[in-house]
Amino acid sequence: MWALAGRFFTYLAFTGALGTAFFYGLNWLRPGACSGADELGRPRPAHEPFLRAGRGAFALHSIGVLGVLTVLLTAILSHWFEFDYVWRHSSRDLPLEYVFSALWEGQEGSFIIWIFWHAALGWFLVRGAKTWEHGTMTVVGLVQLVLTSMILGIYVFGVKVGSSPFVLIRELPENLGLPWTTIKDYMIRIPAFRDGQGLNPLLQNYWMVIHPPTLFLGFAATLLPFAYAVAGWIERRPLEWVTPALPWAYFGVGVLGTGVLMGGAWAYEALSFGGFWAWDPVENASLVPWITLVAAAHLMFIVKKKKTSGGLTAIMVMLSFLLVLYSTFLTRSGVLGDSSVHSFVDLGLNGQLMLLLGLFSVGSLILLLVRWRSLPRSSADEAFSSREFWLVIGSLVLLISAVQISFSTSIPVLNKLIGPEGLVPILGEAMAPPTDVFRHYHSIQIPVAIVISLFMAMVPFLRWDSTPNALLKRILPSLIASLVLGGLAAWGLKFDQPMYTVLLITGMFSALSNLDLWLRYQGGGWRSSGQALAHLGFAFILLGALISNGKKQAISQNPVFLHKDFPANEHILIPLGDTVSMHPYWVEWTGERVEGHFQLFDVNFYGTAEDQSPGKKLFSLAPYIQMNPRMGNVREPSTKHYWDRDVYTYVSFADMRSPEEKASGWTEEMDATMGRGEEVFVFEEYMMRCDSIIVKSAQMIEETGDLATLDMAAKLTLKHMDGRKETIEVPYGVRGNEATPGEAEFVN
Amino acid sequence: MAFLVGALMVTIQDASTYATFEMASKKTPESVTVVGQLDLKEPITFNSSTSMLRFTAVDKDGERSIVYYNQPKPTDFERSEEITLTGLSSGDTAFFAQNILMKCPSKYADEAQFSSK
Repeated sequence: MWALAGRFFTYLAFTGALGTAFFYGLNWLRPGACSGADELGRPRPAHEPFLRAGRGAFALHSIGVLGVLTVLLTAILSHWFEFDYVWRHSSRDLPLEYVFSALWEGQEGSFIIWIFWHAALGWFLVRGAKTWEHGTMTVVGLVQLVLTSMILGIYVFGVKVGSSPFVLIRELPENLGLPWTTIKDYMIRIPAFRDGQGLNPLLQNYWMVIHPPTLFLGFAATLLPFAYAVAGWIERRPLEWVTPALPWAYFGVGVLGTGVLMGGAWAYEALSFGGFWAWDPVENASLVPWITLVAAAHLMFIVKKKKTSGGLTAIMVMLSFLLVLYSTFLTRSGVLGDSSVHSFVDLGLNGQLMLLLGLFSVGSLILLLVRWRSLPRSSADEAFSSREFWLVIGSLVLLISAVQISFSTSIPVLNKLIGPEGLVPILGEAMAPPTDVFRHYHSIQIPVAIVISLFMAMVPFLRWDSTPNALLKRILPSLIASLVLGGLAAWGLKFDQPMYTVLLITGMFSALSNLDLWLRYQGGGWRSSGQALAHLGFAFILLGALISNGKKQAISQNPVFLHKDFPANEHILIPLGDTVSMHPYWVEWTGERVEGHFQLFDVNFYGTAEDQSPGKKLFSLAPYIQMNPRMGNVREPSTKHYWDRDVYTYVSFADMRSPEEKASGWTEEMDATMGRGEEVFVFEEYMMRCDSIIVKSAQMIEETGDLATLDMAAKLTLKHMDGRKETIEVPYGVRGNEATPGEAEFVN
Repeated sequence: MAFLVGALMVTIQDASTYATFEMASKKTPESVTVVGQLDLKEPITFNSSTSMLRFTAVDKDGERSIVYYNQPKPTDFERSEEITLTGLSSGDTAFFAQNILMKCPSKYADEAQFSSK
């Protein structure tokens, strides 16, 4: 019943999107009405029935999307594990706040949240786009049509179109026709279905409640500038679309940027790789569209003020949206399988995803090529001292950054396309992702950050058209101040890489000059603060990332290492009750305790005392292990925050046996294969020698001559390190085809 | 434009190639990526005082090598059907892995892949 409702709403959303695209498109492109506005920019009278039909269809689409969301949420909240999606992503003991995380943990759910944001933002176009409504809403309708097709879950001529979150377990293709699917109460009878698989323990973190919707809202926000750009270029208004699209571009920059930062915060707080950014393909895939969107948003100002750079701006805007689609393709197609730690499972939708991506890329490219001539010719080159010249250069620098990240992230895709086993085998051997990702990305991204921070410091002081030399003197105070302060800070921080020092100074320069710009030249009021404060904030992010990464060090250095080129070991073993030196602290492990699903390990940090005796207790931390029998245990960090530094801890290894088990004296079992006379070192304590194998009895089946029973024993000597010896006998029998192991006994 | 091409060239040159253990030993001390399988017949041991995991892996050419990894055993390590090792060879005795990525066979276990970092 509910599954049917879910399906119904899905189809409603799909048909609604089709109707939106169709009616808006018809109204937009009907003969003699190439545009929502006439030659003088006045709104053209719309064809009322078509306009109403378009809006009505979009309303139906929105109802469908809301319905899908409601049904799925209800199913998760009510623990209807008959839904495969609910069974896979939630469980009865899931805390209420993680219901939403369960909703968007899977591919289908994350498509739904994305579609939802598109639908919500679409209403802003219906209400406020005026002459642009027809064009932009046609594009929105088409995008929604394609996206809702990803959750349809139907088969067209045997080809799977989309994957529905409303599939029941008995309807899964792999279960079709199995005998239990006909039992009415199979959900109760089969123990595995009584409770869901549960949410991945790593995602049970409050950041996972707010990070995905923010990121997807940011992704969705790139649709609006894209829709305006496409509408503008089709209507032969290749510059005018920029003005209404500009606020949305900055909205996208803000929200997507926040989403990416939240991802970093989540990684730092909940994942134990010891940082906020790992240049993981999935992280990169969300960063690249942001970079191009920032470039696009800055270029849009040139178009608005100077009526030039229309082509580059449209390219960047379209690229941002296409890169969002590409990032969905990367994370969902399973192509990143062996290069990323967090990619989705392949749902068999690769063809559809590629079609979606290809359709919009080729469409945008054709549109740009066909309409390139409608761009107004710019009469003169931009002056060297003009703001627009440097904004263009800056956006090209950002493009370099985006190209490098995209290229390296796409290596698995390139292998699929042109690798030795790819579609067009060009490469002799498959490319592997760079082995040292940090060095690889930093070699380009740090110089880019240096240039960008210089631009951020100086370009805001430039004027459109050209800048008198006198104005440039305004940046001198902040330049001198940043050289002095930056020099002092660099002297104090002692970075081991000269590039870090340069970035420290340029980053400071852009922070100070923007502060200066705001306070001295823009009056320091809140209304005029947007540009300067945004730049100031970004400069702080750069500086923060630089200092925290550049000065990151493992205090838990283990002196044991294997090879001169092998990084020193960053894990150290603390025996229970012992105190271990971790410069500048002494660390003591006092005990462990279990709280719900968590096993916490209490460690105390003491200050160093000169006479080597532990000083006074500074703070306690409790890194923990989240125990999850189904998904495996997950280690979670615990961090002490100081204003200028963090002490970050996590348990990389612990004896996870229960206290009773540990006390019983039994150790974990181990395997050893040995022949007569051979010795094996066992349990890091005993030398075990196989003395002899004794046959105790054997019986034959008279008719066939086969062995009926055979009883044997292996005599083993355990030699302790101090010389003690013990002999044990391990019996072993064979009854027909079955082996019957016996219990070992001490013989003396 | 020249910058763009330059950046791309640097990037391409930096991309490594998939290697076998034999190629890895020739390239020492350069880091390489080896794709292979875990040899379950050989013991997998973890020494907690040096925090060093020791196991045996078989590369695509069928060559075996002892691998050291200075991290605890990744979750579901034994169940992996393919492992991607990034690291360097000591010459001829062992391979030192800096990073291990696993590919798990089960549809549902795939989503738990996070934890291998």
